[in-house]
Amino acid sequence: METTLDIFVKAIFSENMIFAYFLGMCSYLAVSKTVKTAVGLGAAVIFVLIVTVPVNWILENYLLKAGALEWLNPAWKDVDLSFISFIMFIAVVASIVQLVEMLVEKFSPSLYGALGIFLPLIAVNCSILGGALFMQERQYSTFLDVTAFSMGSGIGWAIAIIFIAAIREKIRYSHIPAPLRGLGITFIITGLMGIAFMSFMGITYVDEPKKEKKVGTTMIEDASVLRADVSDSSFKTGK
Amino acid sequence: MAINKESNVYTIVFATIMVVVVGGVLAFLSLSLKDKQEANGRVKKKIEILSALLSADEMSKIDRTNAEEKYEEYIKEGVLLTSTGTVVKEGVEGKEAAFGVDIKGEYKNKNIAVKDRQYPMFIAQKDGKTLYIIPVIGKGLWGPIWGNLCISEDMRSISGASFGHQGETPGLGAEISQGFFVDRWTKANEVIADESGEFVPFEIVKDGTGANPNKIDGITGGTITSKGVEEMVNRCLVPYTVYFKTKKS
Amino acid sequence: MSEVQSKTKAPSEPLFSKKNRKLITDPLTDNNPVTVQVLGICSALAITVKVETAVVMGASVIFVTALGNLVISLLRNIMPSRIRIIVQLVVAAALVIVVNEILKAFLPDVSEQLSVFVGLIITNCIIMGRFEAYAMANKPWPSLLDGIGNGAGYAGLLIIVAAVRELFGSGSLYGFKVFGNAIPGSETGLYTMGYVNNNLVILPPMALIIVGIIIWVQRSRNKSLQESH
Repeated sequence: METTLDIFVKAIFSENMIFAYFLGMCSYLAVSKTVKTAVGLGAAVIFVLIVTVPVNWILENYLLKAGALEWLNPAWKDVDLSFISFIMFIAVVASIVQLVEMLVEKFSPSLYGALGIFLPLIAVNCSILGGALFMQERQYSTFLDVTAFSMGSGIGWAIAIIFIAAIREKIRYSHIPAPLRGLGITFIITGLMGIAFMSFMGITYVDEPKKEKKVGTTMIEDASVLRADVSDSSFKTGK
Repeated sequence: MAINKESNVYTIVFATIMVVVVGGVLAFLSLSLKDKQEANGRVKKKIEILSALLSADEMSKIDRTNAEEKYEEYIKEGVLLTSTGTVVKEGVEGKEAAFGVDIKGEYKNKNIAVKDRQYPMFIAQKDGKTLYIIPVIGKGLWGPIWGNLCISEDMRSISGASFGHQGETPGLGAEISQGFFVDRWTKANEVIADESGEFVPFEIVKDGTGANPNKIDGITGGTITSKGVEEMVNRCLVPYTVYFKTKKS
Repeated sequence: MSEVQSKTKAPSEPLFSKKNRKLITDPLTDNNPVTVQVLGICSALAITVKVETAVVMGASVIFVTALGNLVISLLRNIMPSRIRIIVQLVVAAALVIVVNEILKAFLPDVSEQLSVFVGLIITNCIIMGRFEAYAMANKPWPSLLDGIGNGAGYAGLLIIVAAVRELFGSGSLYGFKVFGNAIPGSETGLYTMGYVNNNLVILPPMALIIVGIIIWVQRSRNKSLQESH
């Protein structure tokens, strides 16, 4: 089973929204010309993801999923509304973005100045809806896990856009073949960064027992760990 | 027309009509396709169960159209176990119960304690022999991996296996679903329990070094997926060995 | 297409007039939604490992852009402008749900491989972009053609990327083994001579690099598309 930390780290690095799934590429390409705007958009994405994904998770688990309405009325345990989940998710995203924009404008004009222009862009950012859909597909079972996942995805996305913006600021002074300028080179750099990020894959197994000792002894240790895992002390292994 | 398109009433009426129309169409579509979608899920599960039982040649004759019929032909009974190996349901009645268990969902759901997970098993009759098919579930590098192991009549040696994955790296971890990896489990008299019925854990080792019993060659470049298979098999098989032990004695 | 040019609706222009044909052919090349307009890359590239998934994905997008454009264009005169964006989102989402339900029922294996990416068609910028930029201001028929054209431009790019990746990564095209059998121990064809599949091509980042190269080729041929810095 995945630990919460595992989910968080994985969402930032090995399952990075940009480098592994290419989500939110439109705004990633459009708003990555300077680091300053990239930081603003990155922060806004983190913020919106942390709010929308858990809200969608609550909706999914208490409203849409097969049997999710049971808490309202036991007779509804066969009701399955999951077919409208796409509309639900996109509506939640759009309305929360609107709500956040209004709240930020009212209570923190300085933050609004920094994030304001980016918020409307975010409603159609694939990474936000993608976060909700991945949440649905992977069936995270606790609220904590979902929050960790949404935060990790947001941070991963922000890291990606800030990095590419920094590179694009420098690359302006390089001699790039004319047809590759702009879009082409950005794609290729993103691809190379994605390959670099793949080297983070090994860190997914933070809960794996250490394997690098002598084979003979670890085998037995592992087995006893696994048995304890399954038996929960009531089951004698007969040792 | 004299209707003011920007009035509140018009907007609300428009939105209401839109919601009703869209909702109605989608609900109708979903209801009419639902049986077919659920049947697809069931058929897929049956194909996976059969793929551990049958050889690759026999499997090539099975597709979505005849899987249900073949499943009924081979699978006769089922058993549902608790994590300690106690029988919940057995026999023909257990067949439906075992098939209904969603081990993938239980494995993922942190609200279900490890000891409360259910362990289904399918009992098949093939060429006059009784074979036991055990589904297993775990995680690989990118997402879930799963499989079915077929245990032969002596209740300890592995006679068939199949593995599946959702999104392992093609050419690396994804190779676990290939025939050559499955053969490593079935061709070398691997056993899940020793003579006295105690569980013997498996170990997946570097490609090409697996010689001793229960050391199985992993996949080069697919280390994390291979380790995932090892963890999955070792964790999932324990309750079944307890069941086999009581059954034999 | 010339024989279809017969005038079906009397005084207006023919259904497949030159202008209307351009609506379909333009997005395929010089106004490609992905490589030129930079729209809709989001949901595209993760599913280009195999041609089959790319074809299904492409067909789904064509379906949504074409019908969506048509519906929006029909509604454009009765739609309250205040809730314009919401209406567009609902139309897109409803069509995507239709696609998703049909795929799940009739192509369950492909649907599983596409996983969340079918849902992501909703936020595919091509859809909203064409609704807003074209369908809101044009008659239903040209809108439909525009939708087909843009969907096809997108699908075409997906299929090219997928073909490159499947050919070099798995040695097959649409599941057909081009280079022979790669299974260790029983190799046939090219593999007996020591050819090995390039596993790098299958990894997600290579999709981006391939698109980058396609853009490079396209812009070397058509200088007007080049960017200045």
